[in-house]
Amino acid sequence: MRKTKTKTVTSTTYLRPTDLNDLQQIMAEHQGRAAVVAGATDMIPQMRAGRTLPAVLVDLCEIAELSFIREEHGSIAIGATTTMAKLASSPIIASGSPFLATAARQVGHPQTRNRATIGGNLANASPSADTAPPLLALGAAVQIMSPDGAIRDVPLHQFFHSYRVTDLGEGDVLTRITFPRPPDGAAGRFTKIGLRSASSISVASVAVMLEMEETTCRTARVAAGSVAPIPMRVFRIEELLEGHEIGETLVEECSELLRAEISPISDVRGSDKYRSYVASAVLKRQIEMAVADRRTFGA
Amino acid sequence: MPENRTRPAYRIIGKAAPRPDAWAKVFGDTAYAHDYTVPGMLCAKVLRSRHPAARVLSIDTGDAEKLPGVDAVLTAKDVPNNETATRFGQTHQVGGFEGLYRVLAEKKIRFKGEAVALVAATSEAVAEEALGLIHVEYEPLEGVFDPVEAKQAGAYQVGEDESNVICSYKVRKGDVEEGFKLADVVVEQTYRVPMVDHAYLEPESGVAWLDQDGVITIRSATQVIEHFRGIADVLGVSHNRVRIIAPMLGGGFGGKEDITVETYLALLVWKTRKPVSLTYTREESIRSHGKRHPYVMRYKTGATKAGKLVALEAELTSDAGGYVYLSPWVLLYSTVGATGPYDIPHVKVDSETVLTNNTFSSANRGFGAPQVCFACESQLDELAKQLGLSPLEIRRKNYLRTGDALATGRVLEHSVETEQTADRALEALGEPSGPSSPTERIGRGIASSMTSYGRMTFLHDTSRALVSIEMDGSVSVRCGLQDVGGGQASSLAQIAAEVLGVPMEDVTVYVGDSALTPLAGTTTATRLLYMSGNATKKAATAVRHSLVKKAADLLDVDPEELAMGDRQIYSAGDPDRAVALERVVKACAADGIPLYDVAQFNAPARELIDFQTGQGQVFPDFTFGTQAMEVSVDIETGAVKVLKIVSCYDVGQAINTLSAEGQLHGGALYGLGYGMMEEVVLDKGNTLTPSFAEYLIPSAVDVPDVKTIMIESGGGVGPFGAKGLGEPSCVPAAAAFANAVSDAIGARVCDLPVTPERILKALGRF
Ligand SMILES: Cc1cc2nc3c(=O)[nH]c(=O)nc-3n(C[C@H](O)[C@H](O)[C@H](O)COP(=O)(O)OP(=O)(O)OC[C@H]3O[C@@H](n4cnc5c(N)ncnc54)[C@H](O)[C@@H]3O)c2cc1C
Repeated sequence: MRKTKTKTVTSTTYLRPTDLNDLQQIMAEHQGRAAVVAGATDMIPQMRAGRTLPAVLVDLCEIAELSFIREEHGSIAIGATTTMAKLASSPIIASGSPFLATAARQVGHPQTRNRATIGGNLANASPSADTAPPLLALGAAVQIMSPDGAIRDVPLHQFFHSYRVTDLGEGDVLTRITFPRPPDGAAGRFTKIGLRSASSISVASVAVMLEMEETTCRTARVAAGSVAPIPMRVFRIEELLEGHEIGETLVEECSELLRAEISPISDVRGSDKYRSYVASAVLKRQIEMAVADRRTFGA
Repeated sequence: MPENRTRPAYRIIGKAAPRPDAWAKVFGDTAYAHDYTVPGMLCAKVLRSRHPAARVLSIDTGDAEKLPGVDAVLTAKDVPNNETATRFGQTHQVGGFEGLYRVLAEKKIRFKGEAVALVAATSEAVAEEALGLIHVEYEPLEGVFDPVEAKQAGAYQVGEDESNVICSYKVRKGDVEEGFKLADVVVEQTYRVPMVDHAYLEPESGVAWLDQDGVITIRSATQVIEHFRGIADVLGVSHNRVRIIAPMLGGGFGGKEDITVETYLALLVWKTRKPVSLTYTREESIRSHGKRHPYVMRYKTGATKAGKLVALEAELTSDAGGYVYLSPWVLLYSTVGATGPYDIPHVKVDSETVLTNNTFSSANRGFGAPQVCFACESQLDELAKQLGLSPLEIRRKNYLRTGDALATGRVLEHSVETEQTADRALEALGEPSGPSSPTERIGRGIASSMTSYGRMTFLHDTSRALVSIEMDGSVSVRCGLQDVGGGQASSLAQIAAEVLGVPMEDVTVYVGDSALTPLAGTTTATRLLYMSGNATKKAATAVRHSLVKKAADLLDVDPEELAMGDRQIYSAGDPDRAVALERVVKACAADGIPLYDVAQFNAPARELIDFQTGQGQVFPDFTFGTQAMEVSVDIETGAVKVLKIVSCYDVGQAINTLSAEGQLHGGALYGLGYGMMEEVVLDKGNTLTPSFAEYLIPSAVDVPDVKTIMIESGGGVGPFGAKGLGEPSCVPAAAAFANAVSDAIGARVCDLPVTPERILKALGRF
């Protein structure tokens, strides 16, 4: 006789450390059984759907040293538990990387943004994580603390390994995100395509950061979301752009290359063809706008 | 403010009357179904089928029953009458129309999510755990998931011994073959509309207990307290042993018209003799409760060069899902409404509703009207385009007018103001907006609709209300209605206050108790104001007569001269000759004159129509209206912004202008969601959109303000000439949206919802 899988009523231990030392000890002690949680906006739906049921939940939100946005030595550093609401309203983000604020502002609705954290967004590693493309375009790195207290830095484009698999090992905690403050001439853009104007999961998203000299591209960083198993940086487009005069043909080539580089899936939110088409349309528009802005305002 | 007619001077009717129930909602004080607790209450959970099509080979509940904290585990064998039918509040038995379904699954599973077993336990966690301990052995079967496939000979059979085709109708008027010969232009298209959810704030929920007299009492979120009869029949007890109380609803939209948790609660209470509560999770609600029917509609319409419609042919197939429920009724509404508010000499409509192994479909606001409205209004725009006419011009040439007959032969004897609603709606869109970027295109669309209010006349619908006046002159109304949040109770207070000359705050309305309030029928079919409003007016008028007669004696004037107002009865010609209402009441009481009246209002009663030709009367009356929209479409991403919405209706007579406007606002957005984004996606019977993360409805930032225009023709059959608005107000929006998008991009999307992806496809982008 086929048996229905038994769900048992288990209780989860809930811990709330207040500093990083405590956290490290807890993670070491409960290694293999503990999961960290910040805003819980991904964790709770996953628990409700029965996809995960951690024996120990370690809440990061009481650790003050994990929530900050600051400038240090030409870099911008963001603590892992910084919420989307804080990112969206931070003057540092607004001046240094406004397109990251644009992304944060489009996560869920106000209630979500008051809880959802940047660390959770990256650690959850959904291909549609909205802060990932701008952070990839900013050349961000994440800092990770192991249960033994070791600290390592990982460039974000190496952090995402495969679908929902990251560099985070058992008991690892993402503690902060840093990226170099973009040079004055650089402009970043983030566009999210969702199925309604608020609180929708991206069907495709593109972030571009270009540093232009007149109509020539000095440096380029391009990233896309929801069009591959991971939020991806598209190096080949960057190579195509850097050092070149941007004209119609090049823009067209970039947009075609994007279609070749990505591997979107078809699901209830949209077909692969649709995702591919809008992603390339958006990329084209972003590059065109970057060039147009240069023309209008001068270098 | 409504406009038009020279209005009779009402004191309260037709005014903006803030609703007495509003503040409690704003403050979160309203006790909805789930907010109610009874000491010692058990928590129930439902075990649902994991397969959309399967045979149940065995169910072993032993392990679940042994789990500490479990009070009862029930399966089909515990249900005295498991095969049952929705037959609520209907005084007339009509064969072949019963919404058959099973309480708990046995033999063949007919859709995924079908209830297989019930558990009542001391806590939700224990009940959940017990579900996992029920061992069900299934033999999965092939199933059929497409209604067109399901009606072919040799298709997988959803039920045991009945055909997949539940029923079919025909409408025949003139000769379509001849009609198409007269046409200069013919358009033909197949349209598909999706399954959609009601997406109410409040999921299905209730609490039940056995009262001191052994009556099963169920307090549940329902649009139909008269389900008490069906529940008693399932249990095999007499009808007066089941009582249903309907608290304020957090939305119904037809989803609480069919039975939800009530029978499950009754069975568990009967078994355990303890109070039991049951609330569906959102996922459970989306996966297993009734939905709006998906349709496939083939339409062919012909018109002359001048734009006069000459022939229309339509073939409708609706997907009923696993059980019959209200599918035959919904289909009949679609069949009668297939030709829209238009006068067409040659008509041929064929319709069928078919069982599949999808989630069952049943009532959803509009009840079969929004589907055909989308198809019909798309055809009109296509014809207009080919003829070089504007969408308004072609409609004006074809609108039905007062005195015209529908394709079913029914003459529209009451007011028909469709043309005026279209003129006004379009005019109110104002100056066209300009595009804000080079890839944006602006478009406008209108759609008109004719939607019935009141139940089908062959059901012989009735409603009752009791109006009484207390010794201090305050008024009580008792009416077995369900307030779904549209102001149903409040409108009765207004009617009684108008008739009896007291302010609205002097009236208390007791509603929704099948044992204590006079039975008033369902809050469905846009019938509540029409039926219970008329019953209340009738009862209040009878009380008024007694009071006026007594006042005439006291004042020594002719009763004809007397008016009521400001808690007084006075001479209309000489207002100083007045007597306080309280004094008149006391005088009546002293003389043994009844201070109450129970009135029954009967809708027109007809026989079944002729199913071979569709000829006959199906509805008491119709509401006519037009919605107009302006959208901007980004032709590179397919993204649409709705810039303007206007909703214009002939409301007959607004009772409470605030509530009426509320219906027009909510209706337009309900319909917009259908046009723009809503879809329950199923893959071989599995719901892929079980939560609001996948099932999208418009958010506040997706919708502009809705501009509402109310025309008051006074020509409705409701109290004071009112027409019904609840369902009509949502019907044309999806069609208006699709027409606006089509105007913007110069191409047509023939399937709802009109998503960015479909727009890009229509533009040939991929
Ligand atoms: C209604 C709603 C709308 C949403 N809309 C969007 C949207 O538009 N765009 C979008 O990108 N997302 C959206 N989300 C998803 C979610 O809000 C975000 O991914 C959010 O940033 C997750 O952060 P959190 O702090 O809530 O993560 P949590 O739920 O607390 O954690 C998520 C995962 O990350 C792990 N984790 C969290 N913090 C760390 C850390 N510091 N180190 C290691 N692991 C960690 C947890 O163990 C867990 O596995 C939405 C969610 C909801 C409920």
